[in-house]
Amino acid sequence: MKTTKKLVRVAALAAAVAMVVSACSGSDSGGGESGPGSVKLRMTVWTADEAQLALFNKIADAYKADHKEITSITFDSLPFPEYNTTLTTQIAGGNSPDLAWMGDLSKDLIASDALVPLTDKLKDTAGWNYDDLLGSVTSEYTEDGKLYAYPFSNSPFGLYVNKDLLAKAKQTVDPANLTWDEVSKIGSAVNKATGKGGFVIRDFDYANWQTLATVWTGFGASAWSKDGKTCEFDSDKMVDAFQFLHDAIYVDKSMPGPGTTADFFAGDSAFTVAQVSRASLLDGSFKYDVLPLPAGPAGKASVLGQAGVGVLKSSKHVDEATDFLAYLTNPENAAKLAQFFPPPRKSLLSGKALATNNPKLNAAQLQSVVVDQLADAVTLPNHTSPAEIAQKGKTALDAMWKPDADVKQVLTSVCSAIDPLLAK
Amino acid sequence: MTTLTTRSGARGASVDAPLGAPARRKRFWTLSRRDALTGYLFVAPQLLGVLVFVIFPVGLAIYYSLNDWNVFTGDLDFVGGKNYAQLLDDPQLPKVLGATAIFSIGVVVLNIALGLGLAVMLNRRFRGVTFFRTLFFSPVVVSVVAWTLVWGFLLQDNGGINGVLEQVGISGPNWLQSGDTAMIAVVVTQVVRSVGVNMVLFLSALQGVPSELHEAARIDGASNRKIFTSITLPLISPTLLLTAIITIVGALQAFAQIAVLTKGGPELSTTVLVYYVFQQAFSFNDIGYGSTLALMLLTFVMILTVLQWQLRRKWVFYED
Amino acid sequence: MRTETALRVDLPRVIEPRVRPRDRAAIGRRIALYVALIVMALPFAVPTIWMIASSFKPLSEIFASPPTIFTDSPTLAGYREAFDFQPFARQYFNSVYIAVLVTMITMFVSSLAGYAFARIKFPGQNLLFLVVLIGLLVPSEVTIVPLFQMFKNLGMINTHWPLILVTSLAAPCVLATFIMRQFFIALPGELEEAARLDGLGQVGIWWQIFLPLAKPALSAVAILTFLASWNLYLEPTVYITSPDLFTLPQALTRYTDAYGGEMWNTQLAAATMTVAPVLAVFLIAQKQFVEGLAHSGLKG
Repeated sequence: MKTTKKLVRVAALAAAVAMVVSACSGSDSGGGESGPGSVKLRMTVWTADEAQLALFNKIADAYKADHKEITSITFDSLPFPEYNTTLTTQIAGGNSPDLAWMGDLSKDLIASDALVPLTDKLKDTAGWNYDDLLGSVTSEYTEDGKLYAYPFSNSPFGLYVNKDLLAKAKQTVDPANLTWDEVSKIGSAVNKATGKGGFVIRDFDYANWQTLATVWTGFGASAWSKDGKTCEFDSDKMVDAFQFLHDAIYVDKSMPGPGTTADFFAGDSAFTVAQVSRASLLDGSFKYDVLPLPAGPAGKASVLGQAGVGVLKSSKHVDEATDFLAYLTNPENAAKLAQFFPPPRKSLLSGKALATNNPKLNAAQLQSVVVDQLADAVTLPNHTSPAEIAQKGKTALDAMWKPDADVKQVLTSVCSAIDPLLAK
Repeated sequence: MTTLTTRSGARGASVDAPLGAPARRKRFWTLSRRDALTGYLFVAPQLLGVLVFVIFPVGLAIYYSLNDWNVFTGDLDFVGGKNYAQLLDDPQLPKVLGATAIFSIGVVVLNIALGLGLAVMLNRRFRGVTFFRTLFFSPVVVSVVAWTLVWGFLLQDNGGINGVLEQVGISGPNWLQSGDTAMIAVVVTQVVRSVGVNMVLFLSALQGVPSELHEAARIDGASNRKIFTSITLPLISPTLLLTAIITIVGALQAFAQIAVLTKGGPELSTTVLVYYVFQQAFSFNDIGYGSTLALMLLTFVMILTVLQWQLRRKWVFYED
Repeated sequence: MRTETALRVDLPRVIEPRVRPRDRAAIGRRIALYVALIVMALPFAVPTIWMIASSFKPLSEIFASPPTIFTDSPTLAGYREAFDFQPFARQYFNSVYIAVLVTMITMFVSSLAGYAFARIKFPGQNLLFLVVLIGLLVPSEVTIVPLFQMFKNLGMINTHWPLILVTSLAAPCVLATFIMRQFFIALPGELEEAARLDGLGQVGIWWQIFLPLAKPALSAVAILTFLASWNLYLEPTVYITSPDLFTLPQALTRYTDAYGGEMWNTQLAAATMTVAPVLAVFLIAQKQFVEGLAHSGLKG
């Protein structure tokens, strides 16, 4: 008898615990459907910049005012380093966003047929003016003549200069004839005079080797063939490019070595290669300039970091999401977005137009670093299975960052590591 | 002597020992049946938890390992033994297994040696002993990620450790950028953070060693070393076994340290199996191969545990 | 005999006799001991001290060479940013409530199962115990992909359910059950005999007799479980994708600027806030903390 009573008490306790559990997490299990006729849209982004998010929300509010069926549009900031993993997990976990920013995941998404083709919708939208799009920036997101993502940001890489550090080391740059060798020479001098870093390829961190395309493109090299099937890391031009970097680190000491933290925007280095959009990190604590990328043996080259926005097929509201995308990217809104993201529209691409909303860079800088570069810029290496190629390539390249590395041999090993993935 | 008897006494009172026997004799049937029912109900939540959240998922993992999987579309494609064949073809796997072995052995050996050493040093009464026990235990309560982040700072080429070394005229290595030192760094980081638990367990075991035994041995003229190896160690060998198992299982699961500190680099030197599984399954989206690797990890853990269980007969004192 | 064991569990004994200060060799040894302990303590103490001190430094000073412990120009910028950048207070609450809940469920489930495995006789008990122990040996990485799919089918991705359920019923709980069983097994049989004579059933014996005696083991279970949940990293990384639902370890690694650059001072400030309360509780309650663990019946 007593046992039964006690068991009941235990069961009641267990039930109470279960209720606490559901009470505590009940509010978290959102994301489900609300009533019929109400549509909630969610777009994953990797920016956490308040001004950028405010602009997106403003555009979304204007859209909602005209579209009563849309109850909310949220912009979900995911951290950039884990953006791809998180987005993939959300899609695989049945918690797919309706729209998503995409960087190097785009090829995978297109190849697995996970994106909604946009061309027809955009062409049919009155006033959208599809022909305004620049061909060179849409190619990465186009497959079989169909556009799968709108390249809302096309940010060329430029060379940021810390004029104060250069002055301290009694160095000057000649923007018209700046070469990589010259940058290394000045960087070396700055390092000797001040102990600060010479030039830093931002975000490379001896891991994200794709950003080194900003250097090797000037040497005439590329990571793989145009069709993406053959590795070209073992080409002579690539060897020259990496020899240059290796010498810069270990001979000239013009590039901080692995494991050394040197942040240009905190005043720790003379130069940095970074996208124009990073100008927002300049806090005015030193005099700066922004120049196009230095020339290599193969002359001037422009390199582009791109971001696109697309609609996922796994969205529950594909039509509504596509309609919102068309609104978000129409000429009027594209002009607003242009203050943060170099636009893909020819009509918006002039230094003067870009400078109206840019507090850090002037019209001449934007003309030379952005507008003049876009037409024949190459993008950072992009391929299907980006994470695996990145990891295999990184693992092989690690051998490069030692004083006595055999450049040619390491690059050959990069090819043998990533060739099977390219051929897939 | 007390310890010996109490311990065997404790063991005697294991599951088969008839407890509450007199009461049972009276109404034998009802009571034992009712007891059995209560027993099942008592273990039910735990048993269900293990069945649903451990054993069933292992079965699913076996199923996944026979398939390829497109995460974006959710399509499953039966491929049979392909993922197992890939184990043999994977050029990275031998290096990963090597790193896993070095990491696990390094952590276990260092952790147990240091844990025991600290316990011996702190198993006496002197001013500040509580302070030191607390201090050596304190990293255990610090979150792994926070702890590892801080070590990450300190281990930068221009970070705190090399800065201090520079002050005394030593040019420190670039810790996280070369294979050997990176491995040393992750092992030490892991050991310093977790050795407190082992230290406390050894402390409690040492306090269970009766001092009369030591005194008797000392009267017989045994050296301190001799006393330690032939009296103390055998007496605390059950604790040694337990800490060894807990530490090995813990080392094989060390994910956060690697993810935060080295991301497996340089050149795979710190890519342990657990991190590799995560990479394959969640970064490369190759769930089939990730599951296959995970099952291999499970096999290793099982073999190691069985081995230790067998070995304990040899080196654990008073086991029957 | 058995009573003696139970008693000793609560009374830590010090085996070395107090050294007489007159003994010179002993003084020498004592000094050597202090020196050794202080040197060994450095890697244990310095990172925490440095973390707390550096969280008040301006960004430019964190990597200053030569390195400093304390700064001349302390700032709270990192702390402010920690809250601005992510819903840090919310994430803090998530970690706390999940850890508390998990600890409560685990204490309940493990003390029940531990008691039954140790003190109740039922057919198949050894086999069932073995099955439960498997839960301790299967690394979470083996089960995480299938678990992800299971929770996905239940619509529980991006909720706290997986963190609560798996942690409170799988691996950490199995360790707890093991600890409880080891503790209960060492208690004397007379306890039950007396209780039976008083007419108590198994539930009564468990609740009224054994649980009150099990405080040291329960506190060890509580400590280990709380820390296991508090430190969980892989699971939240996999299951949770919205910052509002993040737990602290996961949130800590997300202090990067819009382009992935690390926000060092903010990370340190957030890490300090994660560590400080637990460390403070630990310092206040360290005696129970360490001794609870020592007397957990984990002696083997």
